[in-house]
Amino acid sequence: MIGKSGKLLVLLYVGFLIVLFLMCSTDLIIKEPEKEIYQISVIVEDVRDDNYSNFRKGMDQAAVEFNADVRLITLYEKLDADQQMEFISREQQDGADALIVVPVDEKEVEDALEDKQVTIPMVILNAGPAESTAAGMITVDYREMGRQVAEQIHQQITVDSPVIVLSEPDGQSIMSRRFLEGAISVLEQEGYSCQIVAAEESHGWKAAMEELRTLPWGQATILAESPELLTEAAGILADDPVFAEWVQGLYGRGSTIPILSELDRELISGICITDEFSRGYFSIYMAMQALEDSGNRLPMVLNSYYIEKQDLRKPEYEKMLFPVE
Amino acid sequence: MSGRKRLLFLGVCMLLTACQGPQNEEQKTSVRIGISLYRGDDTFINNIRSVLEEKAKEYERENGIRVTLDIQDAKGSQNTQNNQVERFIALGCDVLCINPVDRMDASVIIDKAMTAGVPVVFFNRQPVEEDMNRWDQLYYVGVDAKETAVLQGQMVVELYQEHPSAVDLNGDGVVSYVLLEGESSHQDSLIRTEWSIQTLKDGGVPIEKITGGIANWERSQASALMEQWLAAYPDTIELVVSNNDDMALGAIDALDRAGVTGVNVVGIDGTTPGMEALENGKLLGTVSANKEIYASAVMGLAVSCAMREPIPEEYPLTDGTYYWTPQEILIRQINTK
Repeated sequence: MIGKSGKLLVLLYVGFLIVLFLMCSTDLIIKEPEKEIYQISVIVEDVRDDNYSNFRKGMDQAAVEFNADVRLITLYEKLDADQQMEFISREQQDGADALIVVPVDEKEVEDALEDKQVTIPMVILNAGPAESTAAGMITVDYREMGRQVAEQIHQQITVDSPVIVLSEPDGQSIMSRRFLEGAISVLEQEGYSCQIVAAEESHGWKAAMEELRTLPWGQATILAESPELLTEAAGILADDPVFAEWVQGLYGRGSTIPILSELDRELISGICITDEFSRGYFSIYMAMQALEDSGNRLPMVLNSYYIEKQDLRKPEYEKMLFPVE
Repeated sequence: MSGRKRLLFLGVCMLLTACQGPQNEEQKTSVRIGISLYRGDDTFINNIRSVLEEKAKEYERENGIRVTLDIQDAKGSQNTQNNQVERFIALGCDVLCINPVDRMDASVIIDKAMTAGVPVVFFNRQPVEEDMNRWDQLYYVGVDAKETAVLQGQMVVELYQEHPSAVDLNGDGVVSYVLLEGESSHQDSLIRTEWSIQTLKDGGVPIEKITGGIANWERSQASALMEQWLAAYPDTIELVVSNNDDMALGAIDALDRAGVTGVNVVGIDGTTPGMEALENGKLLGTVSANKEIYASAVMGLAVSCAMREPIPEEYPLTDGTYYWTPQEILIRQINTK
């Protein structure tokens, strides 16, 4: 038989257990701080996200770390600046807490910021140094990228070999335009003859390049302004070994898996890359800083690197090109 | 009106107002779809992913309803895919489109979706029937594997009937073939193998199997196997029957490296690289599911589920659950002269 004091002890013990339970498993006593999930919309300049695969990995990593809900939005029409502005206002209206924008038209986005059309923090991913009132800015200098590639061409290929520049004047992004400006300035200064070639819609790249072969140039070097054109040119060389003999070197920019595979197969001679994973990661980081109103708002500049096949497995580039999620 | 009648009238009015609730419910203006792919580097899946993105944009433009796609790559891990599903649900996705890693192990995903009340459209890898029967908000979009295999077999049968020498290359009256199979756990792999060969036999092609192997749908693995076979059976292989285009391309890579020409290679899927090989004359033929219709069906079912609307009539469902995408044979023109 348990005495009165024994019963009291049991009751106290049960009461203690109840308090412990409440403290541990409910919000009644110790309230868990509520974590706010921020909605961040990333609006890029392209209709597809193929060139954003490593960027996306960095973005996703940051989203998990900083508790953000990130949406990557591509345009309906390539390089449609008006549509990008529509998406900016739509996302704002639909409750996005912050925006990250790869501008089709840097000035238009900047004007929207200055006119206070955008009232939520915006991080701009620019294609060259610029002044901005945005909450954050990450810059990759595409002119510098072009210069780097051109300098490598100059080191490897003699001046008497013409450089065929594959370009899409109607669908040229700011990145491509600046990349070409940088490359051509160096190539012309060094005395190369640069022939800009643009394929018409009905007359594809394969046909355009086939025509080039018939011209009396001997061997030529190809420089592609965008990752898409570089991939396409490498595909044409892969399909036609005779054609490949006519090409002395194929150069460009970008770090998509198809480009890296063709670099590995030496169909592409050299490319210029940037750390896309960090670009994605830091864009979310900057947006979060702006949302929490902490940290400075200094623009971030990411370097670009020229690499060839032998560099693919170097640890510093391997980490950048094949980031582990 | 007496006080009691007035009260009764008021009560009826209130009841009627309450019953009107759903009509007043706000029309949805955005849809969020969580998509998990078994492996993002699979060429066929990548093709489907691209068309899905296009279809989502098309729907958005036509209907003014914002469609957000959260696309994740499970990288061949069921565990990762389960976590992705959990995250999709936590992020408030209206519907899930899942390309399961392990079709035998879809029950975890179904449990999570059922608990959250989020419909699921599975595609490409068909969960087992018991799982699919657990809830009326589960759908599957794919191709009829038997039909695929029969079409693949038919393509060779027709060629053999018209130009026997184009298939029986050495003219010995026997067509010696090797077989490249997909994952052993994938339902399509077993059915494609069985019915493709059966159709060849039924069609009167005098076939003889030299060897075969599992290359898990992968180009590199198929290429390695084919290289071995070319060394082990020189000048013997006349036909390569592959369960998909990627493996067929792997076999073509090995044939190119060995400098062997003339061997007929047939694939399945009609992927972009497969179609290029067909154009270049390296692939004899492939069976292609219409990717436009395939992805439209996935998107159509997903959006209808998300909007709580009936399934569109253009996607007739077998047993209220399965949508089979139409397929076609794509074959290279044979020059027999």
